[in-house]
Amino acid sequence: MKISDMVAKRTRRLLKGVARSAAVELERLRSIPGTPEELNFFYDVLEAAYVRNDPAPMLDARPDKDLFVGVYCMVVPEELIYAAGAIPVRLCAGCFESSQIGEDRVPRDGCPLVKSSMGLSMQKGLKVFDLCDIVAIPTTCDAKRKLGEELSAFKEVWMIETPHIKDADFSRRIWMEQMYALKAKLETVKRNGTRGKRINARRMAAAIQDTARAQAEMRRLLSLRSAEKPLIWGRQATAVVNAFAYAHVNRWTEAVTRLNNRLAAMAENDQPMADSGRPRIYIAGSPSLFPNLKIPTLVEEMGGVVVADESCAGDRYLYDPVGSTEKNLNDQMLGVASRYLAPCVCPSFTPNDDRLTLIQRMITDFAVDGVLYHVLKGCVVYDFEVNRVENALRNNQIPLLRVETDYNPEDVEQLRTRIEAFIEMLKSKRSRTKQAVS
Amino acid sequence: MSQTYFAGIDAGSTYVKAALMDENQALVAFDQRPTGIDADGTSQKMIAAMAEANGIPADHIQNIIATGYSRRIISMARDTVTEIKAHARGAAWSAPNSIGIRTVIDIGGQDSKVIVLDGDNEILNFAMNDKCAAGTGRFLESLARVLELDISELGPLSLQSNMPLSINSTCVVFAESEVVSLVARKKKREDIVAGIHHSLAKRIAAMARKAGAQPGILLTGGGGRNAGIASALDEALLMDIHVPEYPQLNGALGAALIGMTED
Ligand code: SF4
Ligand code: SF4
Repeated sequence: MKISDMVAKRTRRLLKGVARSAAVELERLRSIPGTPEELNFFYDVLEAAYVRNDPAPMLDARPDKDLFVGVYCMVVPEELIYAAGAIPVRLCAGCFESSQIGEDRVPRDGCPLVKSSMGLSMQKGLKVFDLCDIVAIPTTCDAKRKLGEELSAFKEVWMIETPHIKDADFSRRIWMEQMYALKAKLETVKRNGTRGKRINARRMAAAIQDTARAQAEMRRLLSLRSAEKPLIWGRQATAVVNAFAYAHVNRWTEAVTRLNNRLAAMAENDQPMADSGRPRIYIAGSPSLFPNLKIPTLVEEMGGVVVADESCAGDRYLYDPVGSTEKNLNDQMLGVASRYLAPCVCPSFTPNDDRLTLIQRMITDFAVDGVLYHVLKGCVVYDFEVNRVENALRNNQIPLLRVETDYNPEDVEQLRTRIEAFIEMLKSKRSRTKQAVS
Repeated sequence: MSQTYFAGIDAGSTYVKAALMDENQALVAFDQRPTGIDADGTSQKMIAAMAEANGIPADHIQNIIATGYSRRIISMARDTVTEIKAHARGAAWSAPNSIGIRTVIDIGGQDSKVIVLDGDNEILNFAMNDKCAAGTGRFLESLARVLELDISELGPLSLQSNMPLSINSTCVVFAESEVVSLVARKKKREDIVAGIHHSLAKRIAAMARKAGAQPGILLTGGGGRNAGIASALDEALLMDIHVPEYPQLNGALGAALIGMTED
């Protein structure tokens, strides 16, 4: 067999595997009883990206004409990309199949997120990856830093030096420099005769406004999720936020607005999605990325309900708005830059006490009963902070369960037993507090 | 007046254990059989046999709760609970001389767990070793095979040792070859076996410390029948280890007790 035939065969196999896992996960989501039709948009977006392999329409883009910029993590400002007339696609991946391929270039102890993204970049075929003309990667954690270097064998890579001591003056300086460098880069990206547009105040204002609308709806969704009677399952909400990566911001915002209206109506008519007897779980730690929704799914199958999470591909992704009302470009740049650095509580930053404050606030706002701490195998930064989080929670008497896993489905049954026991424990704790009160 | 009874089935990966209790929490009968391929069928036979031997009509068994790895396939069970909850619940009943139990260490065939309880027997925390054979009964089984010993001989033999050897690998495969080379070097079998127990105890003690183990420790599961493990754990944790009369039955007892109160 010719080498090119072998590669083609391998690609077909990978795409088939990815499509199958994604389809299984989507089927599981779609068959949740009482699913409101307003969720279909998000499932369609994920289906377009992973099952049908035709993401362009959902991104409102023309695959042959538009510029696509792949981004990693949540510190790359999508406003800048939109303002340059390009389409951002977040590439942090959750596919088990490609994580195995990625192991050719990522060491065994690397996290599955990086392995999975690596695999999909190496073995071309999946359009969300192939479409990207350039990938912007921040130097957040070690894995992302080295990922950028490895990926440059396949793609044009633009590294964004991300300072780790957020509060220092020099960090703000470095970050501003990095933002201006990214801006200049985006303005000169070229493809098939298309070139990045000049980023001016008008285009920036429009991009900031579009993203702000998305963020506002995201916060509205969160406040709906704080209801005592749960209106939406956590795994559904995770899919909603995951879909942001592969949809045009305005289309996504419209869909979330419709969803929020529906949830508000459900609250109004007292038609919750789940009963209020379920322990309320907050998922902390590494992100759950479609199709790997293992953790929220297990929590809810075993009797809990995920009311919020702090993941960078979940509730934290779109939480903070840009604080700029000025109409001149410098202020806009400053506003955007600060929004992506200052409030980010990713554990690659240090010191990171902000994260403890955020978690404690969420625990109170969402009346959380227990925290499930998700560590993707090899994710040292999140695992490092588990003790600090556990100690902080001890004061609030909130139990924490740490689970370490990757994208391999083989440990589901073992995880199930532990998660079920955790939920049982929270249930009996709940009924005791109720007894004590009455 | 007819008595009512409650049954607990602990369908583990290697054995099914069943306990039958009356409404006063007295143990009426118990049974243990290899799980085989049909855990459901096995448990039905066990319950039927226990009822018949004690002249109890089937409808006097008011509630059956299943726990253990295969709990979901036990069709007679009205409800299921995790092993963690069952063991926590069984602890107070199983505790010898009514000692206050604050930590249950369960060493089973395929996994081991540590459950930390508060003063009211509610679960505070738990930890499980569920990924590999290290720290489980399987670790002992494979090493017993290498030494051509029956698993039941390990405990008494290791207590004769004055100088336990050290087995460094926690991985069964490597531990096996260490044991083989100790045998080849004509080391005493009791010292090797004691070394094996210490290696296992070290692993479990680390897990117990991490989970926040408190004095008042109950050792259950197959591990509870092995005096060598109890003594090695005592040394590794520097805490007294209490062994119940029926260590392997603790999960099934807990399940039966849960069936009595939770309707
Ligand atoms: S936690 Fe931080 S470094 Fe890790 S994937 Fe998320 S944004 Fe990136
Ligand atoms: S923060 Fe953790 S999960 Fe995210 S890329 Fe880094 S190592 Fe992987």
